[in-house]
Amino acid sequence: MPHRWSAEIIQMKLRVVFLSLVVISLAACNNKSEIKVYRVSKAPLEEIGPEQQGAMPANAPSPSMPGGMAPVASATSVPVPPNWQPQPLSQMRQASFLVKGVNGAVADISFVGLGASAGNVLENVNRWLSQIGQPPIEEQKLNQIAQHLTTSIGDVAVVDLAGLPIGADSAKDGRIIAAMTTNGSSTLFFKIRGNAALTESQKSDFIKWVAAVCNSQSGNKSAQMAEAMPPENSTNPQIKWQTPAGWSQVPPSAMRYASFSAGANNDKVDISIATFPGEGGSDTDNVNRWRQQIGLPPMSPAAVATQVAPLKTSDGNFSSVDIAGANARTVAAWTRRAGHVWFFKATGPNAAIEKEKPNFVKFVESVRF
Amino acid sequence: MRKIVDLFTSLKLTIVCLAAAMALIFAGTLAQVHLGIHEAQQRYFQSWLVWWPAESRGFRIPIFPGGHLIGAVLLVNLIAAHAKRFRWTWRKLGIQLTHAGLIIMLAGGLFTDLFAIESHMRLERGDTKNYSEDQRHTELAVIDTTDNDLDQITAIPESVLKRNRTIDHWSLPFRIVVRNFYQNSRLRMFAEAGTNARPIANQGPGAMIAVEPIPRTTAADERDVPAAAIEILPKDSGGSLGTWLVSDALGAPQGFSYGGRTWKVVMRTARYYKPYSVTLQKFTHERYAGTDIPKNFASKVTLIDPERSVNRDVLIYMNHPLRYRGETFYQAGFQQDDRATILQVVHNPSFLAPYVACVIVAAGLLVQFGFHLVGFARQKRSTTK
Repeated sequence: MPHRWSAEIIQMKLRVVFLSLVVISLAACNNKSEIKVYRVSKAPLEEIGPEQQGAMPANAPSPSMPGGMAPVASATSVPVPPNWQPQPLSQMRQASFLVKGVNGAVADISFVGLGASAGNVLENVNRWLSQIGQPPIEEQKLNQIAQHLTTSIGDVAVVDLAGLPIGADSAKDGRIIAAMTTNGSSTLFFKIRGNAALTESQKSDFIKWVAAVCNSQSGNKSAQMAEAMPPENSTNPQIKWQTPAGWSQVPPSAMRYASFSAGANNDKVDISIATFPGEGGSDTDNVNRWRQQIGLPPMSPAAVATQVAPLKTSDGNFSSVDIAGANARTVAAWTRRAGHVWFFKATGPNAAIEKEKPNFVKFVESVRF
Repeated sequence: MRKIVDLFTSLKLTIVCLAAAMALIFAGTLAQVHLGIHEAQQRYFQSWLVWWPAESRGFRIPIFPGGHLIGAVLLVNLIAAHAKRFRWTWRKLGIQLTHAGLIIMLAGGLFTDLFAIESHMRLERGDTKNYSEDQRHTELAVIDTTDNDLDQITAIPESVLKRNRTIDHWSLPFRIVVRNFYQNSRLRMFAEAGTNARPIANQGPGAMIAVEPIPRTTAADERDVPAAAIEILPKDSGGSLGTWLVSDALGAPQGFSYGGRTWKVVMRTARYYKPYSVTLQKFTHERYAGTDIPKNFASKVTLIDPERSVNRDVLIYMNHPLRYRGETFYQAGFQQDDRATILQVVHNPSFLAPYVACVIVAAGLLVQFGFHLVGFARQKRSTTK
């Protein structure tokens, strides 16, 4: 017998049905696939544990670095400058530091050990160049810019790269100094990346640290940082000079042939002599690197050429440049002879360089090859 | 309209839904062989529709109702039929209660499926954590680390990475373009991967790593290792900041600077942050003498909640979970060498539904059979007289 529906009953029952549908529709709002934004306090709760992924095994043979970390000695036992602030280590990093400068400038320092198959020097240099927005280079160019450091575990290639990626903050980026070495079973990477001027100021300490860590890898704990000298020193042609009055010679860093200091406190000027086999890069590259170090933008080759002035001495012809930034100034002179390039450079505050420039010119003129 | 009401209140619909549910369970059970239990559950039971092909950013067609749809139609059918035939008499109280219990149970099951979150917290002795992790899901965390005290995290679930080619979110000054996405992958250094390997990233360690896609894992105790190549494109200018390889097999976050801020990107297991922290004080694992059979394992933790001024020690052991702020911490496991405890953290807003439903159904059956028993006894007594 057909059921008779009154309007009220149908309305009431429809309400129940629609209410059910509404409840289910609301329930369908699954929040598991939404992008979430939240703020959390920084360390210590945020520290990454040494074996984060222990709750359930992954099917990858090793959830850490593919190929496995190369077994390396502890890099943390090597002394570092006091202004290098240790950072939490991660699965990739075996040493990590942060250096802070003025006006928010920072530089990040890392040491990573990988397996033997971590790419050759050119591949890695091009990777670093791409990180700072620079085009890749060829092997020939690499030979010009790469410098070498001899340690107890072998030759370490060192490159100094400048460039600012699109949109990057110049207080935190703009330069990479990286070193890498490969022996039979492992590849060690050292890198400092950050504000160009700050990175430059840490270069000497960074090179010493690289040498010390490499020496510590072979158990040669007695190798002191200050003893790390460039290999070229032993085979470099010897030169002589007259040290101007008021300058004091200081122990050179790994990449330098000799170092001097003039002035004191806020007027301190750093003077260096460095030499490398080969051409040592083009004048444009070198001048632009020095400009970057004092916070100036790079210039075109034609513009650089107008800035370079000849400096003739009794023992040869030099090229020279005087670059003044907002707070710092660099005067440099260089010459190429007998398969080597020689750089003479003084960097410091504008007023101090103005005062020392005559001494610097006399110093270059006194050089005898 | 009447036809619609008749459809939703018909017993035939119930039969069709039950038959569809049986077919779905059969197909889902077979699918577990190839997909594994978790993926099969998601595709067949925790979905509104079963799609073909299952994984595609392009054209897909629904081929069968999913578990959520069948359950929802059954629920509507039950409520509608109940409303249509509802007549209030004391004699039908048992039937009404039993149906109400079933409705609560079905609705509770649906709500649990939709809103319950299960995650894990792994703690070594002395470890403190304010988040749990979902080992079954990964997320791309884009972290603004500029602030000295707080990190702002934009967590992009794996499902969004899989579905969207371009991610443009208000919290980020750049767009993220997903160049490649691999549900499961194996990472190898180039030298190991062979000469044909090509990088899919040009920034960070990913530029030295070859990504090899591999079939999804079906083992219950394994999980996939998703990987993606993401390109960062500034919103307010042209150009590209570069392409990064992200995978939780890489571990450490990778950093870059943009817009005067420092950023880190990392693919990691999905995290659920909490306004309180848990510290493992001690983990105890007792075995029966002379065997490796667990007798008892327990975690003594300290719960600290600054908002509520809570700082207390709690012992979590089997069948004695910690319930706090809507979450339940169960003692779920431990690392093989007893170095760490693994707590299962369950957030289920409808966890009471099955208990309430069972009590109501039991009460309904008691009332219903009670009426029958009393009626039968009266009838027998009057016949005897």
